[in-house]
Amino acid sequence: MIDLKFEQKENIGFQYVLDILRPNSPYGEEAVRRLNPFTPAEKTELLRQLGNVQRVLEGEERCQNELNRMLRVFMCAKNIRATVLKCGEAALNEIELFEVKRFLLQTEEMKPYFKTVQSVLHLEGVTLEDTSEALEILDPEHNRIATFYISDSYSPRLRAIRKEKKALEDVIRRTQSGSEREEAQTKRVRVAADEEHEEARIRGELSERLRPSLPAMLHNMQTIADLDLTVEKARLARKYGGVMPEITESRVVMEDMLNPQIADLLEERGKTFTPVSIALDRGATVITGANMGGKSVALKTIALNILLAHCGFFPFARRASVPLFDGMYIISEDLESIDRGLSSFGGEIVRFNQVAEKLSEGFAFILLDEFARGTNPDEGAAIVQAVTAWLNTKNAVTVLATHYDNVAQLGAAHYQVIGLKELNVEALRNEIANACGDVGVELIARHMNYGLYRVEERQDCPRDALNICRLLGMREDILAVVEKNYENR
Amino acid sequence: MKPTLSELIRPYRSVSIIGMCKNAGKTTVLNKIIREVAGNGQTIALTSIGRDGENKDLVTGTKKPGIYVAEGTLVATASELILHHCDVTREILETTGVSTPMGDVVVLRARSDGSIQLAGPSITSQLSRLGDTFRAFGADLVMIDGALSRKTLCSRSVTEATVLCSGASYHKDIDVVVEDTAHVCRVLTLPELEDTQAAQQFHQLDEAFRGTMLLAENGPWILPAGMSLEDGLRKPEAAGTKIVFFGGAMSDGLMKPLLMSSAPLKGLTFAVRDSSKILLKRENYDKIAVRGIDLRVLESVNLVAVTVNPFSAYGFHFDKDELMERMQTRVDIPVINVEDGAI
Repeated sequence: MIDLKFEQKENIGFQYVLDILRPNSPYGEEAVRRLNPFTPAEKTELLRQLGNVQRVLEGEERCQNELNRMLRVFMCAKNIRATVLKCGEAALNEIELFEVKRFLLQTEEMKPYFKTVQSVLHLEGVTLEDTSEALEILDPEHNRIATFYISDSYSPRLRAIRKEKKALEDVIRRTQSGSEREEAQTKRVRVAADEEHEEARIRGELSERLRPSLPAMLHNMQTIADLDLTVEKARLARKYGGVMPEITESRVVMEDMLNPQIADLLEERGKTFTPVSIALDRGATVITGANMGGKSVALKTIALNILLAHCGFFPFARRASVPLFDGMYIISEDLESIDRGLSSFGGEIVRFNQVAEKLSEGFAFILLDEFARGTNPDEGAAIVQAVTAWLNTKNAVTVLATHYDNVAQLGAAHYQVIGLKELNVEALRNEIANACGDVGVELIARHMNYGLYRVEERQDCPRDALNICRLLGMREDILAVVEKNYENR
Repeated sequence: MKPTLSELIRPYRSVSIIGMCKNAGKTTVLNKIIREVAGNGQTIALTSIGRDGENKDLVTGTKKPGIYVAEGTLVATASELILHHCDVTREILETTGVSTPMGDVVVLRARSDGSIQLAGPSITSQLSRLGDTFRAFGADLVMIDGALSRKTLCSRSVTEATVLCSGASYHKDIDVVVEDTAHVCRVLTLPELEDTQAAQQFHQLDEAFRGTMLLAENGPWILPAGMSLEDGLRKPEAAGTKIVFFGGAMSDGLMKPLLMSSAPLKGLTFAVRDSSKILLKRENYDKIAVRGIDLRVLESVNLVAVTVNPFSAYGFHFDKDELMERMQTRVDIPVINVEDGAI
């Protein structure tokens, strides 16, 4: 089962996607809170949901008005699922009966819109069950107004009690004081208690009569939630460019992926997100690149879009093929150990052991961000090399980012951040030199290409670090020694 | 002929009722208004800030009159109180989502006469929204069972008129009852700041602003934290100050040293958001006028009547005519005896 911690979901930008969903109904909101990734066994349900997102995207323009009105019926409504469940076991009080009646009326209000929408969209597995019988129970006089009153018509006894009460109230109204008034007041208290008892009996009866309709009501809540969430998923797909994913056996292919959280952040600063493309197979894929080179962004974007597909969202990509994983694991120094008092390196190792244990449970997706970076580079490289070789043999798709040497060739595939590769370093150096103030880092970031390219031949980490030193005007005498050291390796 | 309470409130669509103390006769006043107004065929809507309407006063254990409403009255109160402590026949109209310790506030229509208990929202914005709901269901007069400690909710932006209830339960010394009530009346009826430009400026401050702002010759100047107003007024930034706005409470601790100082206060206007910000003892409050300061509020309360109850919940009573007469000489608004048959 895919079970990521909140911090991990937040870190890869999944929580951000959930937060920008704007469901109209409390049932849609509930569905967002309970959103869980599907397992391979639930593939049919996942495909149904994805198919419905596609149908909304294709047809919503032809029923926009009805769709909006349908969703708006339950805006600002209260979620009464708990009340409906309670009705299955106990008598509802009058406020709860009021809420049930309002829900039933809203269901009726939604019905014609729903019919039109369905005649256009043909959403699969989305149905509205008839609850008019339940409404009949709570609105015997066919007023069809959203207030609730235990009507006299429910019982002749209630009618008689209320008549008596009313007569006593008239006496109390008429008199200012005296024994007649006091007598009426005393009597009224008793009659009001009778009324209360009779009402309680009727509430019990009504709750019991509602019982056969409860499954239909719960089903309709599910339908509302489903519609709400599907429309929101479609909205995000349109906004960020999502695509219907192809569900594969084991291969991951993502073309021009985007991470909405990072894309929105960059847009605020007047920059644009560089789309990430990658193809992954069973085994370990290694991503290399200099620091400040966007490896982490690439990893987060891959993890996010794979998770989104598992939750019935369109991945934000131009093309997407995703298998269904049994497990998804992220090992990143930032997210480990803090609460356990281990060093960050120790935390990573403990976490790795846990993940390794889980690999026997099924097909897994594993993400390692700069594994073992907290230890010395010689040992760190040796550890990462061994881990990479081991992961290559497992029933898992692994992506690991590293800037250690001699790891890439052990991986099943190797990607590199394009970085400064395609750039005229000399020209950029001049630009930095001519610019006023301390803008070097900013300029490099702007010229850095955060995209990935697949490295076919054997190649070590790119030498972007040296280029960055040069661009930022590191002392020439030091640079000369650095270059000499490079040659001696 | 002296106007009755219902005549006094007739021009208004919303009225808050506040008491000097417990057992000041608030519920009696509410009940009488309900009886009279409902008799005219008007629809009353009732709610409360905090809880009220218990049959027995939880503090003194004295018997209190319950709120007895007429058929057709709209009531917003907590769900627990509706389900267990109301004996009217009820039609549930709306759930508001405003929560109280006794459940969410629910709006109902009384389909018979009967007793109710009130508990309502305690935030201004929630009260305003509730007012809209009441009107949507046909309310002609919205009455809020208020509290002296929540004066903000009496300001004209929330209710158009306010009635203050006082009586023997406040103190066994009739002089104290009269003088303290008169003081509260003066504070409640402080006039609004007339300089609309200045008022605008203060209104724009964050509600959470607790500092002091001086409107000086060279524009507004916020008194640095820790600096007394006495010192601040001597600074060059304060030159030509005419109006001083206090964002926080005007307390004795703050005002006493200033009023005792030699600072040039004569001719200054002091402004606060509303009268709830004035927490001064009578003697310090009176010194403000002595020092020649004009005290103003941004939002005033429209106090339309003071009611007095000569009977104390603690077992004694004043002479009702004496209480009436003495109160009326000390306050400018009509004084009404709640125990009189018709008010």
